[in-house]
Amino acid sequence: MLKIDSLSFQYGRRSALKELTASSNAGKVVALVGRNGSGKSTLLRLIAGLAHPSVGSVLWRGEHLARMAPSRRALEVSYVSQRPTLSIDLTVQEMIALGRFAARTRLDSILRIDQAIDLMGLDGLKERSFHEISAGEQQRCVIARALAQHESNGLLALDEPFSNLDPGETMRVFGALKQRAQAGALVVVAMHDLSLVDRVAETVWWLEQGQLVAAGVPADVLTPAKLQEVFHCEFIRGPQGLTLTSRV
Amino acid sequence: MSKRQLSGVVILAVLLVLGVVARLLISRDPTTGGVHFNWPDENIFVLRFGAVRSALVGGACLGLSGLLLQALLRNPLASPFILGLSAGAGLGAMIAAWSVSVVGAGSVGWIAFVAQGADGVIPGTVGSLAVLVLVYALGRRGGRLDPLTLVLAGTVVATICGALTLLVQSLMPPASRGDSWMWFMGQVPELPSSGAMWTAIVLLCASFAASFRSGAALDVANTGDDEAESLGVSLRTLRILLFICAGALASASVALCGPIAFVGFVAPHLSRLLIGSRHRALVPASVIAGAAILVWADAVRQSIDVGAGRLPIGVLTALIGGPVFLMVMRSRRMRAGEWSC
Repeated sequence: MLKIDSLSFQYGRRSALKELTASSNAGKVVALVGRNGSGKSTLLRLIAGLAHPSVGSVLWRGEHLARMAPSRRALEVSYVSQRPTLSIDLTVQEMIALGRFAARTRLDSILRIDQAIDLMGLDGLKERSFHEISAGEQQRCVIARALAQHESNGLLALDEPFSNLDPGETMRVFGALKQRAQAGALVVVAMHDLSLVDRVAETVWWLEQGQLVAAGVPADVLTPAKLQEVFHCEFIRGPQGLTLTSRV
Repeated sequence: MSKRQLSGVVILAVLLVLGVVARLLISRDPTTGGVHFNWPDENIFVLRFGAVRSALVGGACLGLSGLLLQALLRNPLASPFILGLSAGAGLGAMIAAWSVSVVGAGSVGWIAFVAQGADGVIPGTVGSLAVLVLVYALGRRGGRLDPLTLVLAGTVVATICGALTLLVQSLMPPASRGDSWMWFMGQVPELPSSGAMWTAIVLLCASFAASFRSGAALDVANTGDDEAESLGVSLRTLRILLFICAGALASASVALCGPIAFVGFVAPHLSRLLIGSRHRALVPASVIAGAAILVWADAVRQSIDVGAGRLPIGVLTALIGGPVFLMVMRSRRMRAGEWSC
């Protein structure tokens, strides 16, 4: 279980998160939504244990994530950043294999890496250089690395992982994440496509100016009236779920 | 180790052996200027073998130091010379020598040990690490390390350190200065100081072990900071450990051979060209490449007379390494921003 208690975080004097309290059981996909700069990326970094809270705590299965040694935390929690970077020349397969750095069990690792490559549809690209594939393929590559990193009941924190993906690849990736959640993982994902959130997430956490303003199932949180008020766009909720109707 | 990595290491090792043989055999006829290959008599062999030992150890230190700096800073332009570590080590050693000879600090036991430790390696390490901290702080733009800003900061700090070294040297009595002018241009001593030599060997072995053990972590560290931490690497521990190794190696090479340009820059690039980017293989390859480059440079310069003696080795390495540096700086990957921190 992920438990966030009275969490505040500051960059210097600027407050990024204020008194945020939330929790979720494993086995779910939690979508973080909100406007740009609302604190989604900061919250994801804290959930991944990559920053120390200024106040409050983030606990995963009762343990403070920021206090765990990186080598131990990596066996439980994986993180995908908005912009994957790599300064050396590695193949797609080698890049995904970095996910097994903390595990150090060779036989099991080979199996997991192959499974992740298969899940993300990267079979034909595994010998290609990471720098020579498209942005969307790089995104799938780092998601595959996160999937290969730990047991299927771990915690995945993903920051806008669909930003470079076409609709087909988006559904493939979300299918893999859903499957991982059904196997006992907790998937926390920051995203902007609210129609997609409505269709695939079990829980939505809505952030505004560093505060959690709403949490619950998509149908309760993502109401057309609320979306109109915050984003100044028109949505309708029909049998197909939430749809954006505003035209430019 | 993959087939490519193994064959790359073998190629470098063969280059190294050929370089050693060339340096032992090559000689120049002072009257005709012709180059000959002959087995030297015992006295000459001692001198040539001394030069080979200096080049092997000094080059290996530079190769590994350059690799660690490039990997930790995620900057292909980094090297102990370009970032000013060599100049910082020279300044540290010179200040220590001045404090002993002029101020008389050598009369106090522990100060004498720190100031003269291992023929200047200890104060040199302090100097190179101080420069590294300064350049690291100056090389940041908008909270991130910028590769070119880092190089610019290193160049300026190196120039300042060079000027201060000259100043400190001029404050010393002539008798204490030794042949420091030759040292400034870089040299491969035929009779290396045993203190500097053994210290460099010990530091090289310890740094090699630490770097080889950290090879996989260095691969992971070349993703972003957040990604590397989330994959299980403690960046803080890795950086502290390996920056100290890089600084100590730069200092050891300076104590042994003076500041030699571009060997620490070219050796990791040559290794990458032959064996790829995995650091577990790059660590031994860069050590061998650094040693091979310096041995070959020392062998080649034996055949080049500039009128007042043989071409200084620092001049030769700069003439070869400078264009390689410019090629890397203008490379497609640099322009594409793939090397960023």
